Amino acid sequence: MYPKRAGRGACYQMNHIVYMSRAVRPLSDYDLQDLLAQCRRDNSLHQVTGVLFYSHGSIAQLIEGDPAVIEPLYDKISRDGRHSNVMQLVNKPIAARSFPDWSMAFHPLEAKGFATLEGFFMPSHLPPTPDTLSIADAMLIDLVRQAVFGADEPAAANLTA
Amino acid sequence: MREQQLQTILRHMPAGIATLLGPELRFGFVNEAMQSLLGGDTPEGQPLADHLGVLAADLLEVMQQVYSSGRPYVAKAYALPVAGSDPTSRRYLDVALEPLQDDEGQPQGLLLFAVDVTGQEEARQRAHELALETRRLDARLRVLTETAPQITFSIDAAGQFEYVSPQWYYFTGQPPTADVNAIWPLLIHPDDRLRVLYQSDMARSSGIGWNFEYRLRRHDGQYRWVLSRALPEHHAPDKPVFWHGAVTEVHDQRELAEALRQGEAELRFLADSIPQLIWTASAEGFIDYYNQHTAQYTGLSTQELGPTGWVNLLDPSEQAGAARRWVQCVASGEDYEGLYRMRRHDGQYRWHIIRARQLADARGPRWFGACTDVDDQHRLREVLQTQYDELARTNRDLDTFVYTASHDLKQPLFNLRGLFEELRSSATFHDPEQATLLEMVDDALLQLDGTLQELAATVQDQRELAAPTEELDLQSVAQEVLLGLRAQVEEAQATIDLDVAAAPTLVYGRANLRSVLHNLLSNALKFAHPDRPAHITISSSLSESGQPRLTVQDNGLGMTLVGSAGPSFLLFDRQHPGVAGAGVGLYLVQRIIDSRGGHLEVGSTVDQGTTFTVYWFE
Repeated sequence: MYPKRAGRGACYQMNHIVYMSRAVRPLSDYDLQDLLAQCRRDNSLHQVTGVLFYSHGSIAQLIEGDPAVIEPLYDKISRDGRHSNVMQLVNKPIAARSFPDWSMAFHPLEAKGFATLEGFFMPSHLPPTPDTLSIADAMLIDLVRQAVFGADEPAAANLTA
Repeated sequence: MREQQLQTILRHMPAGIATLLGPELRFGFVNEAMQSLLGGDTPEGQPLADHLGVLAADLLEVMQQVYSSGRPYVAKAYALPVAGSDPTSRRYLDVALEPLQDDEGQPQGLLLFAVDVTGQEEARQRAHELALETRRLDARLRVLTETAPQITFSIDAAGQFEYVSPQWYYFTGQPPTADVNAIWPLLIHPDDRLRVLYQSDMARSSGIGWNFEYRLRRHDGQYRWVLSRALPEHHAPDKPVFWHGAVTEVHDQRELAEALRQGEAELRFLADSIPQLIWTASAEGFIDYYNQHTAQYTGLSTQELGPTGWVNLLDPSEQAGAARRWVQCVASGEDYEGLYRMRRHDGQYRWHIIRARQLADARGPRWFGACTDVDDQHRLREVLQTQYDELARTNRDLDTFVYTASHDLKQPLFNLRGLFEELRSSATFHDPEQATLLEMVDDALLQLDGTLQELAATVQDQRELAAPTEELDLQSVAQEVLLGLRAQVEEAQATIDLDVAAAPTLVYGRANLRSVLHNLLSNALKFAHPDRPAHITISSSLSESGQPRLTVQDNGLGMTLVGSAGPSFLLFDRQHPGVAGAGVGLYLVQRIIDSRGGHLEVGSTVDQGTTFTVYWFE
């Protein structure tokens, strides 16, 4: 299991970065699975966590961690040739992690086998936006989710409070 | 031995060799290569004419002529079908025909020498086809170059024009004899000339292409913006020889772009000048622009506010609801509208109306929003609301007081009447005037009782003014009311005609309708003429404007109307002091009708009767 680091969050400054982009080519189930595995492997070494949404070429990602780590990471991501139109929406300090385990949500072409994949969610089964986020950040995530998956998927659960 | 060797060499030579002997051209020596050329049917001593095989008759004819003339001949690239294969495949041979003569110079036969030149011939044919294709492409390129709506040119390293397409002459209006090298620079706008010449010289000396815009004089003398682009052609690496390029007119695009830039700058200036919070958002709902006033009001920069930071400005209790509504509006495209308290830079919260609308056009959806400060209006409204509430409460208290007072006065009045009855039955009065006095006291007591009852009824009816409306059947409501007035009807010996066929129903408050009918009917009965039985007509119809109206007509005492617009019935305004009644009835009718947006008209002739017409709605 992924070690919980929320307790250590207060020891160093922590930021989160949210961006949206368009895939240059549609990503296959295999590409996405590979990406998830890569994220979980690489980011666990640097205490970077987050969530990635993908649907029909639209990508949105939130990464959270030490700004000294995630800012160079974002630079690297934004230069990745697999996507373009990378638009950073926010980069700001946060009090605590909201996505302590790496996760990803997309519509697989072959649903079989994905149900058991660690960190994977069907967009319709995505847990509500965590209430550790401020209302402005939760709204940002809900808008991002809506932009990627469309308005049909249920969004905004913590805003019903 | 040497002859043997020679024979072997000839036989295996890769060129076809044969001798044809005598005027009949009989086969003599035929080597292997020639045999395979002719298809193998070359029996020695037989005339060639009988075994032509793949050879065509024209070659035989030429052979015969060479034989008889004694002059050698070479048939170049003579096409021969390949023996025993696809009839369309050909091989090409140079066939040398050499006459053989004896020592006296008499013709003896022919020496045939055939070299396969198929490779060369095919290459030549290909080259020919290529040349044709090149000419065709060349022509097409020329047509394209010369019909495209742009000037194309080639210029050498020294800056001399090698080629300029005819469009240059059309555009500039220069004669075909014009010296392009000399004239072109003169046609460039004086303000652009030095820049253009410098930039193209620099590009040429550093061996790179160029791309710049400048104004070029058109045939009509007008300067038009053009885009000049050229790329170098390298013959050796890093050593360009020519630059090929095109000049395209971009005047209209440039003016349009300029107008757009201008328009956008003006709109931005406008937005920045408005003392309201103005903002725009992307299709996804992220704010991408705040006007200057937003920064002044909030004390935060666009950067600090971020794409969703505006929600932090709202009162904490309203943030979640506002965020949820915004997410929904972005999803559905509906207008966003709400009244929120927004924090100013000094921490004070002021009421704002936040409105946003989605613009969906060819550029895709965008959101335009404004936050209008309505704090002063809102506070004023709150003050007014408080005052209104206070007034309404006072009014209610007054009603209650009147009701309670009328109710509380009933008991003493009842006692008074009882005592008076007691007094009248037990005491004896001798003066007949005292009997009249007794009657007057009795009447006064009765009137006081009536007034108290009507006061209570007035308060009751006022409360019912705001009652909900429903569709009412006039016939049945009127009959109910008449049932309640049965005693008065009998007393006045009244005939009542009820005709509601023209407008049988009415959407009104039930209690209000009853009250109106009750008062009008009891009025008509009360003021019946003492000389004749009462006749009252009630009819419901539609007015000229199609609205329902009610008419109540009687043949009673009638009254004198003051003023042309008809009377207005003030409370306790008695029309007939001689007849009992508190005068509250008509006041009530008028109040009910006014409050529901209608009016009451009255026509009357003294001693003949009165007609009330109720216009329920204007």
